[in-house]
Amino acid sequence: MQFTLVVYGAPHSSEGAATALRFARALLQSGHAIYRVFFYSDGVHNGSALAAPPQDEQDLLSQWQALERNHKLDLTICIAAAQRRGVLSPSEASRLEKTSGNLADGFELAGLGQLAEASAVSDRVVTFGG
Amino acid sequence: MTLHIVNQSPYSGCALSDCLDAIAEGDALILIEDGVYAAAGQHGLPEKQTFCLTADANARGVSIANSVEGIDEARWVALCTQHNPIVSWFK
Repeated sequence: MQFTLVVYGAPHSSEGAATALRFARALLQSGHAIYRVFFYSDGVHNGSALAAPPQDEQDLLSQWQALERNHKLDLTICIAAAQRRGVLSPSEASRLEKTSGNLADGFELAGLGQLAEASAVSDRVVTFGG
Repeated sequence: MTLHIVNQSPYSGCALSDCLDAIAEGDALILIEDGVYAAAGQHGLPEKQTFCLTADANARGVSIANSVEGIDEARWVALCTQHNPIVSWFK
């Protein structure tokens, strides 16, 4: 079956993103496909390359990136939610005249239409609240 | 039939009570994250088709009531394939 996951939680303020990651691994192990993981609201912080969690805490970013590399996951970040929270690609940063971008490798910025399209195409949509 | 997912403690908000107001016969309910605090019993949980992530209950020292079935992530995935839509209650 084809799944889309929607992540509302920032990495260190709620458990939602960590749970989504656990669920994504279980999905792939069960032989299902993930069409898209859509990061929305505070969930966009998952795509910041500048987060530097202490070594004794979970590093969700590297785990998402490893999953993206190994399974060619589509990790999409809502561009409007990301702009107001300071998660920018280099091109967005330059367009908005900011000093630098910080969008992590493996993530892409896109509009809410990508969530609508993923919902239409997927058999199931599972939301992970913040 | 719907799969309801509750991730908030019954002591800190109305996610569970809102869910229980909306749940229909034949729906399933899974308690995850702080939602597992309701798995100790009471809280008006449905007698059938109520599940809880065992790992999340163990992480919090919650003992799961007899009417609630403790499951792992693979079983959660299976429940998602058996139900549609899947509704998350987190506010």
